[in-house]
Amino acid sequence: MPRLSLTPTGVGGYTTAWSLLLIWLLMLPSQGLAESKQTRGLPPPAVLNPAADLWRDIRQRDMPARGTTQVRGVDSAVLINANGDRWRKFRMELLIPAAGYLLLGMIVALILFYVIRGKVKIEGGTADSKLPRYTSYERLIHWFIASIFIFLAITGLIILFGRPLLIPVFGKELFSVIASASKEGHNLMGPLFLVALILVFVKFVRRNIYQKGDMSWLLRGGGIIGKKHVPSNFFNMGEKSMFWMLVIVGSVIVASGLVLIFPIFGQSREWMELAHVGHAIGAILMIAVIMGHIYIGSIGMQGAIEGMTTGYCDLNWAKEHHDYWASQMERRGEAVPNEAVNRFSDPDANRSLGRELREAEE
Amino acid sequence: MIGQFIDGPLWTFSLAVFVIGVAWRIVTILMAGNRPDLSTPRGSASSGAIRTIITRSVYERTAATRGRLLQIAGYLFHIGLFALLFFAQPHIDFYAERITGFGWAAMPHWAFILSAELAFLGLLLLWIHRLLSPVTRLLSDLDDHLGTVLVFLVMLTGCLALAQSFEALRLIHLLLAELLLIYFPFSKLMHTFTFIMSRGYTGATMGRKGVNA
Amino acid sequence: MSVQFEQGVEVLRQQIDSRISSYFSSCVHCGLCAEACLFYTETQDPRYTPIYKLEPMKKLWRREHTFWGKLGAIFGLNEALTEQDFADWETLVYDSCTLCGRCSMICPVGNDITYMIRKQREGFSVAGYAPDGMKEATIRALKIGSPMGVTFKTLKAALAHVEKAIGLEIPIDEKGADYLTLFSSMEIVNFPEYIESIARIFEAAGVSWTISSKAFEATNSGIQIGNKEAAAELVNRVVIAAEELEVKYVVSPECGHAYSAIRWEGPNLIGRHYPFEVMHILELLEQLKNEGRLQLEGKSFTPMTLHDPCQIVRRGGVVEQPRDLLNSVAENFVEMTEHGVMNWCCGGGGGVSANERAEPLRLRVFERKKRQLAETGVNTMVTACANCRIILEEGIEDNEMDAEVISLTELIAEHLVEGTKKS
Repeated sequence: MPRLSLTPTGVGGYTTAWSLLLIWLLMLPSQGLAESKQTRGLPPPAVLNPAADLWRDIRQRDMPARGTTQVRGVDSAVLINANGDRWRKFRMELLIPAAGYLLLGMIVALILFYVIRGKVKIEGGTADSKLPRYTSYERLIHWFIASIFIFLAITGLIILFGRPLLIPVFGKELFSVIASASKEGHNLMGPLFLVALILVFVKFVRRNIYQKGDMSWLLRGGGIIGKKHVPSNFFNMGEKSMFWMLVIVGSVIVASGLVLIFPIFGQSREWMELAHVGHAIGAILMIAVIMGHIYIGSIGMQGAIEGMTTGYCDLNWAKEHHDYWASQMERRGEAVPNEAVNRFSDPDANRSLGRELREAEE
Repeated sequence: MIGQFIDGPLWTFSLAVFVIGVAWRIVTILMAGNRPDLSTPRGSASSGAIRTIITRSVYERTAATRGRLLQIAGYLFHIGLFALLFFAQPHIDFYAERITGFGWAAMPHWAFILSAELAFLGLLLLWIHRLLSPVTRLLSDLDDHLGTVLVFLVMLTGCLALAQSFEALRLIHLLLAELLLIYFPFSKLMHTFTFIMSRGYTGATMGRKGVNA
Repeated sequence: MSVQFEQGVEVLRQQIDSRISSYFSSCVHCGLCAEACLFYTETQDPRYTPIYKLEPMKKLWRREHTFWGKLGAIFGLNEALTEQDFADWETLVYDSCTLCGRCSMICPVGNDITYMIRKQREGFSVAGYAPDGMKEATIRALKIGSPMGVTFKTLKAALAHVEKAIGLEIPIDEKGADYLTLFSSMEIVNFPEYIESIARIFEAAGVSWTISSKAFEATNSGIQIGNKEAAAELVNRVVIAAEELEVKYVVSPECGHAYSAIRWEGPNLIGRHYPFEVMHILELLEQLKNEGRLQLEGKSFTPMTLHDPCQIVRRGGVVEQPRDLLNSVAENFVEMTEHGVMNWCCGGGGGVSANERAEPLRLRVFERKKRQLAETGVNTMVTACANCRIILEEGIEDNEMDAEVISLTELIAEHLVEGTKKS
C-alpha cells in the first residue's frame, strides 16, 4: 500500500474525505487485479462499478498522470501509477524466473565444468616452499566481505524468491516470519557491505590495475582449458575483471540499496522501482559471478584457497598461475620453506618447543 | 506455550543465574585473598588502581600501532553493544517492564541502527581476526568461540526482530539472550566485571612503585 | 608423577591469589600481549605469547577454581596438570621470558602477566623444572654467597686493586655507617670500575658508607629462578648484616633484579618491614646531586642514548633519575623512541643470561635493541645494570656493530668534582 503523507498542519475534514475516497479508489484496482489474475477466464461481474469509467480513463494513459492536491507528498499528486503494475509484472514474470534460471544455470555449468575439466591441479605437484601472498589484514577484509556478501545474498534471495518458492514450502504464516527476519537482517547488514567494499577497494585497487600481460592471458583463455602455462601478474585478468565488476556492480547494488532503505529523501515511486530493478539485477549478476569465484577458489583449483586462509601459497602454484609475480618474489628471496610456514599458520601442528629442543639435542 | 516459558520461568531463571553467578564469581576471586605488601610504597596504591582502571582503556602507544585493528574493532563492538543494551528503546521498555519499573531516555532510532551496525562491524572483524591470527588461534579455546557465537547470535536475532511485528522473532531473540545470561558467569564474559579487579590490582601494585601504568 | 612434581604443583596451587584469579578470569585471549613481548616480535612464533607461557598455571586454575573445570574434574573430562606439561613449558617459562614487564603494561584488561610468570616459576623450581644454569647459579649463591662463585676473599682481592687505583679505602663492616652498599657479582668480576666510581663519588659527597663481609652480594638468583625460599635466604643475609651494622640505608647497585628483589619483594619474602630504607644507587646519586653534595663538571659530547633496565625503571619505579643524571653530564643525550617505562628489554634479564640453552634465542631477539639503537643514530648506550651491560655488549659483538655500552654511574664519576683527598 502506498504511504499517504499528511500535511504538517493537520488534515482538514474535506481533505480527509477526499483522501479516503482516493484510497478507496486506489484499492479497487489492486483488488480487481488480484481477482482478475485469479479469475481469468471467468465472465466479468454483472455489478457495474460507478468509478470504472474514471478509472479506465486515467489508467489508459501510460505515464503517471499528475494532478493537483492539497496533500503534500512525493507522489501524492499521482492518482494511478500504471508503471507500478508494469514493474510488478516485470518482477514476477521476468526477473524472478530469469534470475532463477541464471543461478541454476550457473550451478549446472559449474558442475559440468568440474565433471569435464576436473580439479585444476598444480603442474608438477606441490613445492617445498611457499610464497607469502596475503597479509592478515587482507585476509581479514576478504573474509569480512565474504561473510557479509553471503548473508546478504541468502536474505536477498529469500526476499526475491520467497513468494513463488518458499510459500508453497513453509506456508504463508511461517514465511511472513522468515521474510520479515530476512528483510530486517538484509537492511541492517547492507551498509556494512559498503564498509567492506571500501576496505577491499582501497587495499586491492593497485594490484588490479590492468597491466602488460593481462590481455594475452585473456586471449589464451587463462589456461583454464588445456594445460598450457599462461603467465600472469599478482592478479590475472579474470581476477581483475571480477574485482572491477565487484566494485562497479557492487556500487550500483549499494547505491540502489541505500535508495531503497531510505525512502525519506524525496524519491518517487518510480525511483524506488528503478532502484529495485538495479539492485536485483546487479545482485543476481554478482551472485552468479561469486559462485564461480567460490568454485575456483575451493574445489575447482588445487592450491587456490590456502593463500586466503594461511596467507601463504605454494611456490609451484604461484609460478604456474602468477608467474611474473612469483618469479619476482623468488628473486627477492621471499620464498619460505614449508616447515617454517606450518609452524606459524597451523599451531595445532606444533609440538611444544621444549620437546623439539630436547629432541634436537638427542 | 514455549513462548510463555521463555517469557516467564526461563527469564526469571536466567536472570537469577546471571546475578547470583556473577556475584559468586567475584566473591570467589576475592576469597582467594592477597598477601599484604610489606614493602615501603613510593606512591599511592589507590590512585594507581584508579589510574589504571581508567587509562588502560586508552591503548599504549606501541599497542596502538601494532594493535590498531584490535583497538578500533574492539571499541566499535564494545561501545556499540553498550549503547544497544542500555539506550535502545525496545530494551529500555523491556527493563522498565521487567526489572527496574522505570525507564530512561532512549537514543533516536537512527542512532540505534548505527550502534547496531558498528557493533556488528566490530564483532565480525574481531571474530575473523581471532580465526586468522596465529596468536589467537593458539590461545583461543571453546569458551572464547562459544562466547563470541552466543553474543553474535543474540545481536543477529535482535536485528532480525527489528520490525517488532512477530512474536516468534522476539522470542528467539529473548531465548538466546537468556542462554547468554546463563552462560555468562561460567565463561570469559565475566571479564565485563572482573576487568575492574584485574586493572585495579595491577594499578595498585604499579602505583606503589611509582610507575604510571 | 614424582613426589617432587607433586610438591611443585602444591606450591603452584598456593600461588593462586585474588590477583591471579582475577587475571585468568579477565583474559579474553586477545593476543595483544604478544605484540609487547620481545621474544614474539622478533621471532613471530605465537608460542612466545606471554599469556601462553602460563598455560600450566591456567590449567590448574581452571580445574580448581572454575565451574567447568571442577565439573570436568569430577567426570574425568579434563586433565590434571602433568609432569609433561612442566617439561614442555620449561623453555617458554625460563628461556623466552626475562620478566621485563612490557606485557603487563599493555594488557587491555590490566593483567600483570609478569607477576603471573614470577609466581608460576615457584612451582617449576620446586618441581625441578628450571634451566641447569640457573639452578647452579642459585646453589652457588646459597652456598658460596654469589651466583658467580665470588667469595669474600675474591672480593677483597678485587677491592685491593680498586683501592690502589683510586687511592681510597673501601670501608668494610663499619658499624654505624649510614649506607650499606651491595655489589653484584657481575660488577665485581667484569666491571670493577663501578666500585671505583662509587667509592670516589661517596668520598667527594661525604657519604658515610660501608660494605658487609657477610653480605656483599646484591644479585638475587632466587628471584630469577622463582624460588621464594632461596630468595628469602639471600635477602635475609643482607637484612641481618644491615641490622648488625645498624645502617640507615641499603644501596642497591647497578643490577636490575637485585633492586626489585630487595626493594619490592624483600619484605614480603622475609615477612617483615625493614628497619632501614632501600635505595637504588641512581636514587642516591640524584638525591646527592639535588642536595648539592654531588658536584659535577663538564659534559660529554659523545651522542648517547639510554637503555632503561626493566627491573629498575618499569618494574622498579626509578624512571626519572637516570635521565636527570644523564642530562647533567651528557650534552647530546637522545632518548630512544620507546623509552622510559616502555623501553625494550636487553633480552638477558630474569635469569636468561645464566641460561646457556637460551643463548641463541637471546642473541636473535637482540635484533630489537639493534634496531632501536639504529633509530637513534647514536653509537653509545648508557645503562645502569651490569647484566644489561654484558648482554648488550655480547649482542653488539655478535652483530659486529660499531657501538659501546657505558655505565651511568661510571659516567657520573668521570665528571666528578673531587675534594682534596685524592692522591
